[in-house]
Amino acid sequence: MKFLGFIVVCLTGALLLYGTGQFPAWGDPGSPASTHLSNYYIEKTVEQTQVPNIVTAVLADYRGFDTMFETSVIFCAGLTCFLLLRDFTEKKERFYRHRPTGVILHVKDSEKVLKVGKEFEHIDKDFVPSDLIIKTVCRILIPFIQIYALYVVAHGDFSPGGGFQGGVIFGSSLILLAISYDLKTLVERIKEKVLGIFAAVGVLIYVGIATICMPMGGNFLNYGMLAPLLPGDPRHVRALGMLGVEIGVGLAVMAVMAIIYINIVSEGRHDEGL
Amino acid sequence: MDNYPVLIVVTPLLAALFAGLAAWIEERLSYPIALIGLAISTFSAFKVLMRVIASGTIQYRMAGWAPPIGIEYRIDLLNAMVLMLVSSVAFLNLIASYKSVEQETNDRAASFYTVYLLFVVGLLGVTATGDLFNLYVLIEITSLTSYAMVALGDRDRAPLASLNYIFIGVIGASFYLLGVGYLYMQTGSLNMADVSRILQSHQGSSIVLTAFILCMIGLWIKMAFFPLHVWLPNAYSYSPVAFSRVVAPLMTKVMIYIMIRLMITVFGYDYIFKTLHLSSAVVWLATIAILAGAIMALAQKNLKKMLTYIIICEIGYMVGGAWMGNQLGMTGAILHILNDALMTFAMFLAVGNIVYKIKDVDLSNLTGLFGKMPWTMAGLVLAAFSIIGVPPTCGFFSKWYLILAAFEKGAYQFAAALIISSLICAVLFFRVFEICFFNTDSKDHEHGNGHPQIKIEEAPVSMLIISGLVSLSLIVVGLFSGTIVNTIILPFLK
Repeated sequence: MKFLGFIVVCLTGALLLYGTGQFPAWGDPGSPASTHLSNYYIEKTVEQTQVPNIVTAVLADYRGFDTMFETSVIFCAGLTCFLLLRDFTEKKERFYRHRPTGVILHVKDSEKVLKVGKEFEHIDKDFVPSDLIIKTVCRILIPFIQIYALYVVAHGDFSPGGGFQGGVIFGSSLILLAISYDLKTLVERIKEKVLGIFAAVGVLIYVGIATICMPMGGNFLNYGMLAPLLPGDPRHVRALGMLGVEIGVGLAVMAVMAIIYINIVSEGRHDEGL
Repeated sequence: MDNYPVLIVVTPLLAALFAGLAAWIEERLSYPIALIGLAISTFSAFKVLMRVIASGTIQYRMAGWAPPIGIEYRIDLLNAMVLMLVSSVAFLNLIASYKSVEQETNDRAASFYTVYLLFVVGLLGVTATGDLFNLYVLIEITSLTSYAMVALGDRDRAPLASLNYIFIGVIGASFYLLGVGYLYMQTGSLNMADVSRILQSHQGSSIVLTAFILCMIGLWIKMAFFPLHVWLPNAYSYSPVAFSRVVAPLMTKVMIYIMIRLMITVFGYDYIFKTLHLSSAVVWLATIAILAGAIMALAQKNLKKMLTYIIICEIGYMVGGAWMGNQLGMTGAILHILNDALMTFAMFLAVGNIVYKIKDVDLSNLTGLFGKMPWTMAGLVLAAFSIIGVPPTCGFFSKWYLILAAFEKGAYQFAAALIISSLICAVLFFRVFEICFFNTDSKDHEHGNGHPQIKIEEAPVSMLIISGLVSLSLIVVGLFSGTIVNTIILPFLK
């Protein structure tokens, strides 16, 4: 069986090499990929969409339909994690730590609800006393990471960036919060329900903006038709449409990042992990 | 401006998002939202089909950009037929699924409907699009959702089946993507019509040949063509009933549709059959696939597993017909997409009803079912007759075209395999009938004094009505095969 696999791999490699044989030279300006459509995008993008970042224009306008489904793929990934991993059953054991003395209570029977005072805190099974340096550094860093993420989303039209990148950066700031403090801190601040709604609303912003174009008299996704609804110069309407969908993408990606992280590290229980 | 082409795909997507929101706000709303979304989608597909039959191909420009610059939906007769098929099967199955979802995945029903809708969005988008990369993105959505759905099934075995499915499915999808990359290297375009126009002048290029082979192997993996089929039986038989009823008839058939679309619209007949001469080799492969599928089906002891191997056998029919290289073969293959989807759907509806009542559909558990579930069994018998190919049902007509095509081309081995597999199907189904009809429970004998009282324990009415409707449609479609061939398939092939 291993030998068979080896043969298949060799054949595939040979096929790929054979196909590469007639490739245009590396960086050849005359190759079909750089002459057929690229010229059109390079010459017309700014004139047609008022967006200086050609990548964003191709991604969110010329081929915006693909990006809409890519965002749906992200939504789908988050939903799948929730659907398969989320476990609503109660945990068996609980741990409480007495703050002044550091004594830890281990409650093995989850049926019994132990009423504890304020001087006890509910802790993870593999509790490690928190590190002051890590906590402080992260607490200072997280707001800046989040502002930077918003900048990347908002400035995607003009410089490298956009909804996917901004969303991932924002999501990573949430994950950093969970790592530097503990998972409970994150889950208390952003409820599971909020994350779930954000993920759906993000994609809905994208699809909604695209759908509104139809009753306004254009084809699906034709931002140009939104001019009567938006203030400002009508020539900028495509850029504004793109900004709108980028915000939707950012929102969805941020929420899905957090959903995936929380569900995987806590094995779907949302109580403790990592 | 007429927006029906895009509404087919976008309404289920919107419905999925609203159902996803409803999961957090008011869970009971998600089912009606899903139902409305698919109803509008089916209605739009019907409108588009009528329009295409009346006035030819529809082109719809996304965001208003002209085709090679932007993405377009290009809906011709073949698309329109498959769109109608996919949306109506998904809609009917959703009606039938309410009770089985309640039974199987009650605690997360809203998420189930959301994923279900996204799966249907993927299938519809794949079918409607005229852009090679857009097709890949939607294959990704269908695959991702189907991995999730499969894993949700049988608690012990489904996760492993899903994992196998993920590994192989991802390889298949990346092969297709790699093929599209090679095509882009040669043409600089992703629009199917544009690529096809540019390819006319690159018939001998090794890049195009590699792209062709990569795309075809990717799709063969995705459609479970015989040596690449290993993921299918477990994935389909362990998934939740509500999902296996929609994935078994649609997924592989839509992949066959993509293969035919690439063969006809992108690479072109001349390239495949005159430049490459691959026809007879693939027809041999298809012959082997048919025989292997049928023989493996014989070895199964579980009704669901047996049906999944019959699907593999049917894939062989369609691939063989499409690669026959003559008009009859292609007609047979396209007609068989419609027929096979319908009869597999009817079959799985009946099996779903049985699963609803008796959890385990091992053949030995099916005793006395004709007495207990007469209506379900009537549907099952009709579907089985259609799969075997008994004349008034639709299965007969597509097989007839395929056999004629095989004789025209001189591929007698294919015709022989087709007939042998039909006979094997007959043996398989009559074995099932025998168990269900003649073998009765030993318990009944103890109670009865010669005439055991058999209580009728049927599945819920919603499931029975859909099952009955679809089974009857097998005869209706069979009787109107001539009309379908003359109004849809032949004008498309000209």
